[in-house]
Order: sequence, then structure tokens, then C-alpha cells
Amino acid sequence: MKLIHLADSALPIGGAAHSFGLETLVAEGLLTPETLPGFLRDYLEETGVLEATFCRAAYRAPGSDWPALNRQLSARKLAHESREASLTLGRRFLQLFCGLEGCNIPAGEAHYATAFGYAGRALGVAEEIAAAVHLQQSVTALVSACQRLIPIGQQRAARLLWDLKPEILDAVQASAMAEVGTVAAFTPMVEIASMRHLALETRLFIS
Amino acid sequence: MPDTYGRLSLRFEYDSKAARTRLQVLEQRQPLKVVRAFDLPCGGALVHLHNLSGGILAGDKLSLDVAIGAGATAQITSTSATRIYRSRPGARAAEYTTHVQLREDALLEYLPDSLIPFAGARYCQRTEVQLSEGAGLFWWETLAPGREARGEVFSYDELRLGFDLRVAGMPVAMENGDLNPALRPLTSPARLGPYRYLSSFYICRAGTADSVWFAVEKQLLEIAESMSSPVIIWGLTRLPAHGLVVRALSQNGRDIARGLVAFWRVAKQALYGQEAVVPRKIY
Repeated sequence: MKLIHLADSALPIGGAAHSFGLETLVAEGLLTPETLPGFLRDYLEETGVLEATFCRAAYRAPGSDWPALNRQLSARKLAHESREASLTLGRRFLQLFCGLEGCNIPAGEAHYATAFGYAGRALGVAEEIAAAVHLQQSVTALVSACQRLIPIGQQRAARLLWDLKPEILDAVQASAMAEVGTVAAFTPMVEIASMRHLALETRLFIS
Repeated sequence: MPDTYGRLSLRFEYDSKAARTRLQVLEQRQPLKVVRAFDLPCGGALVHLHNLSGGILAGDKLSLDVAIGAGATAQITSTSATRIYRSRPGARAAEYTTHVQLREDALLEYLPDSLIPFAGARYCQRTEVQLSEGAGLFWWETLAPGREARGEVFSYDELRLGFDLRVAGMPVAMENGDLNPALRPLTSPARLGPYRYLSSFYICRAGTADSVWFAVEKQLLEIAESMSSPVIIWGLTRLPAHGLVVRALSQNGRDIARGLVAFWRVAKQALYGQEAVVPRKIY
């Protein structure tokens, strides 16, 4: 129940303020209602596996490995805006969770994915469940961002998220065999979109 | 055909008496080869990497080690594009491993031509670059879609590309891509979208103040905006520390090559107060 609460898009950590580069892709005509389903499947295949791998690593990591793990994820997130968004959400998530649960906030920076893995362990849920729920809330947030950018109704958004469940589980399964130092993720278009976000004339999102 | 194990180990040291960087070739095993170093106007040494096979063949296992001593300046380039030939069924993927170590206040400009994977190629490239305090790096790489003139676009089997950049042991940029066009279409808007060429240009100088990076970023952003068009997009961003990365996606290779030099000229002037000298090619 607590994990479901933490995955709620209404969690007051500011998740709705970020598009992680999708706003630029929409502005440049690369992301449309027609291309969105395929985009999200491919995103899960790349970034989804990366995030799930770090979520799992955080679940397993003893405290001494925490700073190095988060530095490594920072190095993987080339685009400054998306990296800062992930760090901001991670910090706010941990502050909220540790306040609610009465546990210690780990020292140093935290990304959203690693913070979620930390919470999953603290709550005693299975590692793969924590990773799957993290990806579920991540794609929900992206679809929610897209609803504000392109014409997608609530019914269509719900269908889209419903149909992505197999891809979420595939990403979680792939992350079980992956290691943080070598896990692959190839999304240059999304990274460059995030880099170019600041130059958009009109922006609805911080990232 | 037996597998080929090529190796090149280079050391660049600053000779304070001559005020020049000297090249030492510690090990040279075919097909990798260096003929000689050329003096650069700033006192650095320019080296061309040769591959006597004319490209990277299936089963090749190649390694390049570069050590650049304190205060030394090296410029490394290729003699032409790096061709990755088709792999025969069952053959091991070709591997190319590069280790680069820069000591205090050293500078490396790594400016190769593009990587062209032929249809059916399988290739694994791993690169590790370590910078010490004060060390600088201008490092670009461009990936082509294949032999476009023959209609080969994303016809390779698999490319695994890894890049790991650290400063004083701390990671500042890490990339790991597994490109398998048949399994994971590169034309997805999550990957390359409508573009065919991908280029990354790392610009680093360890220990440089944030205020300098803000100024450099501002200058380069103007270039990125002015050079972006419907056929090429440029983006740049600050790394977690010590530098910037410029990235481009393009529908052709020509615009990328021109653009990289434009970024390099401005960044070299801003960080070192020196002119960027485009490497002389051996033809």
C-alpha cells in the first residue's frame, strides 16, 4: 500500500513539472499522438532498463556505495536539465518518504530511480516490484506530460499505459541481468532534445 | 583466417629543454601503426593513427594505450574514416579498446574521422579516458550510418559503444550504447529519429571554474543555435563537473565535420587562449 502511495502521480515532489526533453520533441514535430506509443516502448527498452538497473542497485547497495552509485548515474545522464530534474525529484522524494516513514535520509545526492530503490528496500517489498513500480510511475508521468503537449484524451492515455505493462516488465527483467557499469541505453535524440529545451520560445515544463 | 591482435602503446612527454612534446612508441603491433609525430605550433605533437588493414576486420582485437605526461600536448587523428568490415557468420565481433591517461596539465585533442560500419558488421568499442587535475580534453567521435552511396544505411548487425570519462577517478560522463538496428530500430524518435549521423564532442579542462564554463557554454550555445537547421540539430550541455559535451544528429556527415571544428575553435580559444589547428592529413 505504501509503495502504491509513493507511485501516485499526485505525490508532492514536483514530478508534473518535468518532461525530460519530450517538450522539445513535440515542439520539433518528432513526437505526435501517432508516434508516442512506439516512442514509449523504445524509451522503456533503453532508459527504462537503465533506470530499473540503478533502482535495483540502490535497493541492494549498502550505505557506503550510495554516493558512488548516484555519481555514476549522474555521469550516465548527459543532459544537464534531465540530470538536475532526476536529482531534484530524488531529493524531494527521499525527504518526503523518510519523513513519513521515520527513517534516515542517505547522505549525498540521490536520483529518483535510486531513491525509489532505497524506499522499496526500506518498505520490504521485493526488488523487482520496486523497479516495476518505479517504471510505471515514470511512464505515467511522461504520458501525463504528453497530455498537456499533444492531443491525447484521458481514455487514450489510459489505454496507452495499460498496453505498456509488458514492456515495463520486460525492462525490469532485462535489468535483473544488467550491471550499472555496463548497462546499455542509447537515446541520443532524447538527450539532445533535453539539451535544446532551454532554447524553446515557450516552455510548459522545467525540463 | 586467424584473429588479429593489434596493439599500439604511445607515450607523450613534455621536454622542458626543447619546450616541445615528444612521442615515444612503446609498443606497435600490426595492423595499428604510427609513423612519426609532427610538431604543432603550440609545442605539441600530432600523431596519425594508421590501420594497415585498411579497416577493422571481423575478429580483430585491437587496443590503443595513450599516456600523456604532465604538461604535454598531443593531437591524435586518423588518416581517414574508420571502416568496420562485414563480419562472417559465427566470427567474433571485432573489438577496439582504448585507454587514455592524462597527467596534470596535459592536453589531448582526439579528432578522428568518422566510424563507418559496413553491412553485417559486428563491433565492440570501449574507451576509458582518465584526466588528472588541470588536464584538458577535446574529444570527438562521429558515427556514420554505413556506406550510404551503396545504399547501406543502418545495415550493420550490432555496435556496442562504451565511453567512460573520469577526472581524478570520479566519473563525469559515461555512455553505453548497444545498437542493433534489426532488433531496435534506430529511426525511433527515442534513438536517432529522422537523422543518420551522430556525433559527440567532449570539451573538458579539469579544475576550471564554473564561471568559465558558464561563459564557454553561452558562446557555444549561440553556435549550436546558428548551425542547427532542418537537416542537423546541435545540442550542448554541462557535464556534472569539469566540462561540456556537444552532440549533433544530422542527415549528412559534411555539416557535422564543419560544425565540430567551429565549436573546437571557440572552446580552445576560451579555455587555452590558443588557436585550434586542424590536423594536417597525410595524403
